[in-house]
Amino acid sequence: MAEIDKDSGIIVTKDLTKVFNGKAVLEKLSIAIEKGKTTVIIGPSGCGKTVFIKHLIALLRPTAGEIFFKGQRIDNLHERDLGKIRMQMGFLFQGGALFDSATVYENILFPVRQHTNISDRRQLDEIVKSKLAVVGLDGYQSYYPANLSGGQKKRVALARAIALNPEVVFYDEPTTGLDPVRSDVINELILKLKKELGITSIAVTHDMTSAYKISDRIVMLHKGKILADGDAEYIKNHPNDTVRQFILGQVSEADVAALRVSGTKFASQFNPKDFEE
Amino acid sequence: MVCLQLSNRQSGYISPVIDLAKYALIGTLVVDVKEKGWVMIVEQIGASTIATVTETGQFARFIWRSAKSSVSSVFRGKTWPLVFTQMLIIGVKSVPVIMVTGAFVGMTLAFQAYDQLAGMGLGEHIGILINLSVVSELGPVLSAVMLSGRVGGALTAELGTMHVTEQIDAISSMGTDPVRYLVAPRILACLLLTPVLIVYADLMGSFGGYAISVWFFKINSQAYWQFTAYGVTLWDVMVGLTKGFFFGAAIAAISCYKGFNCKQGAQGVGQACTEAFVVSFIAILALDFAAAIISKSLYSIFYPIRSLI
Ligand SMILES: Nc1ncnc2c1ncn2[C@@H]1O[C@H](COP(=O)(O)OP(=O)(O)OP(=O)(O)O)[C@@H](O)[C@H]1O
Ligand SMILES: [Mg+2]
Repeated sequence: MAEIDKDSGIIVTKDLTKVFNGKAVLEKLSIAIEKGKTTVIIGPSGCGKTVFIKHLIALLRPTAGEIFFKGQRIDNLHERDLGKIRMQMGFLFQGGALFDSATVYENILFPVRQHTNISDRRQLDEIVKSKLAVVGLDGYQSYYPANLSGGQKKRVALARAIALNPEVVFYDEPTTGLDPVRSDVINELILKLKKELGITSIAVTHDMTSAYKISDRIVMLHKGKILADGDAEYIKNHPNDTVRQFILGQVSEADVAALRVSGTKFASQFNPKDFEE
Repeated sequence: MVCLQLSNRQSGYISPVIDLAKYALIGTLVVDVKEKGWVMIVEQIGASTIATVTETGQFARFIWRSAKSSVSSVFRGKTWPLVFTQMLIIGVKSVPVIMVTGAFVGMTLAFQAYDQLAGMGLGEHIGILINLSVVSELGPVLSAVMLSGRVGGALTAELGTMHVTEQIDAISSMGTDPVRYLVAPRILACLLLTPVLIVYADLMGSFGGYAISVWFFKINSQAYWQFTAYGVTLWDVMVGLTKGFFFGAAIAAISCYKGFNCKQGAQGVGQACTEAFVVSFIAILALDFAAAIISKSLYSIFYPIRSLI
């Protein structure tokens, strides 16, 4: 692979390493993310995908290594100076992270109110309406997050993430918890944002259908390293066993063995006496 | 063993309770040593020392950031609505509970002090005692303790939950400094409102004391106020209110810090609330002690010109 330097892409990491309590979650990860393309990150649960994209927006700071955004180093920036950079980014949290004390309307307007001085009520209404329409939730303005379903929360969070028309959007599992039709709407949305606004997307997903559809490039993380990196075709035909098993959703021999070893039949673990009071 | 002998030799003049406590302490240490060995103990002490120092450093950094943001927020129009919202939640809704606290303090003081003073024929001086205690010590300290429970607990729980559900990260991710958006308005609101709430506590304390002394013990009302006016100076009131600023800032800063750094999960939030209350409580007492020392030395400096203030 060609040597990565800080201008190789809109976001570049060099030897990014993150250690939590003595355990390395990311190990010397170097990657350059191309402007205007959609990069999909896949990998087994708990392999550090969320941790990785949180580094790209400097919500987490690396143990070692460097991160660049548009050629500027961001991992050592002060919180105050990160504001300007984060304004150009949108982040969809895995759990939504909506403000539960504010309505959907106020949630979506949060970044708008923080960074613009638009105060015309009609204009603000229009912004919220258009963003909600994108995720199919126009009409829910006055709802509180507690009164939305899991999938609806995710979509409102997505509307909030794109409220300022950012240049780069990070999606942490955008389609998890959505029905197949709604998932596909989100896929179309990501494609549309790329085509119309040239937005760079970085999406974490477990949904391979979605990954193949939206990606220009798929990166598979495994044990803190990049295991596979290429376009959808390349990944589909990847020679490595771990990669193939992951994308096909097959259980590996080791996992089956683990089930067998844990041994005792579930049926024999309890007998009726255990439940008597 | 040395310790044991030591405490045996001294037990003649040390109260048995302290002795018992010592034995218990030594007992746990001995058990600890048997189980883990000296190296482990030393390691443990070292680890907890490092943890304490790290936490203190973190807290100091947090305070510094919050102080800077609070000061700059004063000059930013955008923050004022947030401060007002917090003032409503923190201040206005605390008024009833603060007034009840103040009234009971005054009434209890009057009730307990009367017999002793009357026994010495000083019954009419009771106004000084009640009002001086309320205005300079009990009003500010008890209000602050009340607030650290009512306001501090809510602040920690709210920010802690926001932290756990990544809402604070969400604020950062949208390019807003969460310290400026969440902490500064809360500190400002607490700082500005605690003295005001103390005024309420003082007034109610004064009234409660008056009610018991004059209506119940039938003290002459005029004498009551005369002695009060003679004994309680503006200086005492000002010292009491000034303490309020510091108490308010300390409660808000500690509660916000604990919320921002709480551990994951429902238990984490609960633990953070407990810690916030305990630390605030100790901070209030420590600040009160410091204030006593400082106000005393200031008083002696300003004593010659006190007629001017
Ligand atoms: N704040 C933290 N402190 C300690 N360990 C953490 C922290 N955050 C994440 N980890 C650890 O890092 C590892 C990766 O977590 P991460 O959330 O990135 O997984 P993920 O790949 O996003 O998984 P999933 O697909 O289930 O969301 C996990 O083993 C987790 O225990
Ligand atoms: Mg994740």
